[in-house]
Amino acid sequence: MASKPDLTPKLIVRSLLIGAMVIALVALPAAIDPYTLRIATGALMWAGLACAWNIVGGYAGYISFGHSAFFGIGAYTTAILMQSDVGASFFVTLLPAIILSMAVAVAIGGPTMRLRGAYFAIATWAFAEMLLQLVTVLDFTGGTSGLSLPAYLNEFFFYYTMLIASAASFIGVWVLIERSRFGFRIKALRDDEPAAESLGIRTNLVKVQSFALSAAITALFGSIYAYWTTYIDPYSVMGPEITDQMVVMVLLGGLGTVWGPALGGVLLWITNRYIWSTFGDTVIYLPILGVIIALVVLFLPNGLISLIMGRQRGKELISRILGKL
Amino acid sequence: MDLFLQTLVNGILIGGILICLTIGFQLTFGVLHVIDFAVGGWTMLGGYTAYWLVTLAGIDPFISIFLVFALFLLIGRGLGPLIYHVRTSRYARPDLMALAFTFGIFLFMRGGALWLWSYNSRSVESVLSGQFLSLGPVTIPLMRLSAFVMALLFSLGLFILLYRSRFGMAVRALAQNHDHAGLMGVDVKRVSAWVYGIYTALTASAGVLIATVYSVNPSVGIRYTLFAFFVAVLAGLGSVGGVLVAGLALGLLEAYVATYIGARYSLLIVFGTLYLTLLVAPKGVLGRGI
Amino acid sequence: MSSAYHKAESSEYPPLAIESVSKHFGGITAVDDVSLSADVSEVVGVIGPNGSGKSTLFSLAAGGQKPDAGKIRLQGIDVTGWPTWKIARTGISRTFQIPSLFLNMSVRDNLLAAAVEGDWKRARERMESTLEMLEISHVIDNLTSELSGGQQKLVEFGRVCVRDPKVILLDEVTAGVHPNIRQIILDAIQQLRKTGITFLVIEHDMEMVKEICDRLVVMDQGKVVAEGDFETIASDSNVQQAYLGRT
Repeated sequence: MASKPDLTPKLIVRSLLIGAMVIALVALPAAIDPYTLRIATGALMWAGLACAWNIVGGYAGYISFGHSAFFGIGAYTTAILMQSDVGASFFVTLLPAIILSMAVAVAIGGPTMRLRGAYFAIATWAFAEMLLQLVTVLDFTGGTSGLSLPAYLNEFFFYYTMLIASAASFIGVWVLIERSRFGFRIKALRDDEPAAESLGIRTNLVKVQSFALSAAITALFGSIYAYWTTYIDPYSVMGPEITDQMVVMVLLGGLGTVWGPALGGVLLWITNRYIWSTFGDTVIYLPILGVIIALVVLFLPNGLISLIMGRQRGKELISRILGKL
Repeated sequence: MDLFLQTLVNGILIGGILICLTIGFQLTFGVLHVIDFAVGGWTMLGGYTAYWLVTLAGIDPFISIFLVFALFLLIGRGLGPLIYHVRTSRYARPDLMALAFTFGIFLFMRGGALWLWSYNSRSVESVLSGQFLSLGPVTIPLMRLSAFVMALLFSLGLFILLYRSRFGMAVRALAQNHDHAGLMGVDVKRVSAWVYGIYTALTASAGVLIATVYSVNPSVGIRYTLFAFFVAVLAGLGSVGGVLVAGLALGLLEAYVATYIGARYSLLIVFGTLYLTLLVAPKGVLGRGI
Repeated sequence: MSSAYHKAESSEYPPLAIESVSKHFGGITAVDDVSLSADVSEVVGVIGPNGSGKSTLFSLAAGGQKPDAGKIRLQGIDVTGWPTWKIARTGISRTFQIPSLFLNMSVRDNLLAAAVEGDWKRARERMESTLEMLEISHVIDNLTSELSGGQQKLVEFGRVCVRDPKVILLDEVTAGVHPNIRQIILDAIQQLRKTGITFLVIEHDMEMVKEICDRLVVMDQGKVVAEGDFETIASDSNVQQAYLGRT
């Protein structure tokens, strides 16, 4: 009640910051070379994917190791519909991609999210691997040789498409989870499911809703990615690395925070590209991801964002490193 | 009919190795309540260690397996307290944090192996390689048979340790109840660390056998993590006894699918079955507890 | 006893009626043919030794567990077998023996989360007045994981109040808390019952039981062994046996 006036200067600073960021993001392509622009486009995509994973993994507290399945569903839907025998235009394919991913999420989300903790993680992983194996043996997905899409070589187009998709995801999540009833439901579910039930929250429904939302966003980025890279195969859009990165980005940035995934996604993607340009491949990236997860779990369970936005978190970090709680 | 028998034998032989692969994993879950994603990573590292021992020092995998066991016992014992710390931390949802932690370790192993040793598959040669035993219509590669026997001996060793020693009693007490075991004078942290060590040692040893029978490359880790999950889920997480049946079941399933449906479908069917088993009977089909 | 509330067939049903409810776990009968009803504004104490089935009875009433036999009625509505959330929305609210707070959320958010399925427009107002009543307004922005045990009990109690239920089940809500906090809770119960809320409380603290309960129900080994006001119960031989007959 009394805290409202205190917020005002903070609010002004925050709006200014956000305004500056929006201008910077919109103007960015004019200022950088095409190679850097591709990196920026990728960073936007990963930020958006991290945001999507965070809905289920961070807010609902269900660690999913199967999100590559939804990325792949999006990518394959777009790729298949854009083959010359169907010939759909790119934007037309987005809707079926999103609908299909949500349908799959609802179908598997109901039974899978009855499983808790590790069981859920295993089940989603098994599901994603199953789907990966399935697209490698099916004909209409091109099997192991994958699919080519009509090439559209306009980096500006993809940058702005990713920007819009990513911004929409973050704003959507912010409104839905930090500014509406749904946020209380999903966080209550994460912290204590029986207690949430006992307060009248229909946890099974909330779980499926959050899973479907998360799947839809993931599939959206899968669709854009497929059109962007013009060629997909099972491992490039459904391989375990997709999920691995989403998980690490969110953990690093801050599980269950709005902006943490953006921070983690952008930072890690830039690291990835830097390693790629320095070493010629990204093999060393994987062990680095592994070390980051372990260190974050041990010393910074609230993620990097907690150092920036949290209260007294820095002190907590130091005490955690020094004195083991 | 001959093909059927041959497949049966193949399935049983691989099933034996899968038992050894999963039995320590189950023990870890029973005692530490940690699902270790790195189980396939330990398998892979065991395989690589055997590969380097035979390549550089000429030590046959059936001898080096004991070195691998000792080495990974120490590595696991060293890592154990860290796992215990994460699992018992005050932090909200320590179970998920522990999951993420072992996931990180796994990623580190997988990526590290890829970085150091690249994508190539490497086969581990033994003096038994290429030798066969014929029993009527069934041909048994001697190596698979020896690997099977070895895997069962290791698993048997664990059972003897669990049910015939003081340490085993402490472990079983821990699996029943942390607090009570602690009150009865069990050093929970130390025993947990040793359990983790035993688990990594057993799993790495299974990895040696798997690398000897097939081959090893950085991506086998994921496959064996999922296989271990499969066996564990079928047996009921934490159930050590159930693994005996569930391991054989997976071995047979994989062998029959590969023979009669096609090898490229075997993973699809294994993962599909795993997923459905989780949905239908998440607590396992074969009972629970140690 | 099981006919006591059938009189209400006409219009006024008891807020909570438990009818011949049983629950088994494996071979153990945790709750054995228990019947119990509570009237508007009544505070019923449920007492009995550890393991006598009190908490299980609460879980059955609030829908956390399904009874193997018997019925649960809220205001005459048969809610047996309904999902927990649906029973909760029908007007029952409970605390847990071990406080089950949303530990990563602030005190404010804990209370708002409790109001999310109710009157959302007035949630903020209710949250603030509840915090005031429980004298914890000063920790409104703290994470509940940072609170003391007593304060956590208060927040859990507050969460129950914010929902504006007809029936509140309190499971050892004053166990191990500071006398000041105990007094806050007692006052709040007295205040809320005046607004027509029915309470069922599990308590070990006999002083508190004596002070606030209109009626006591004694459980032992899953059965109701005695029922009545405090004086009757205190002199009942069954009760003494339940408490002293076994360790």
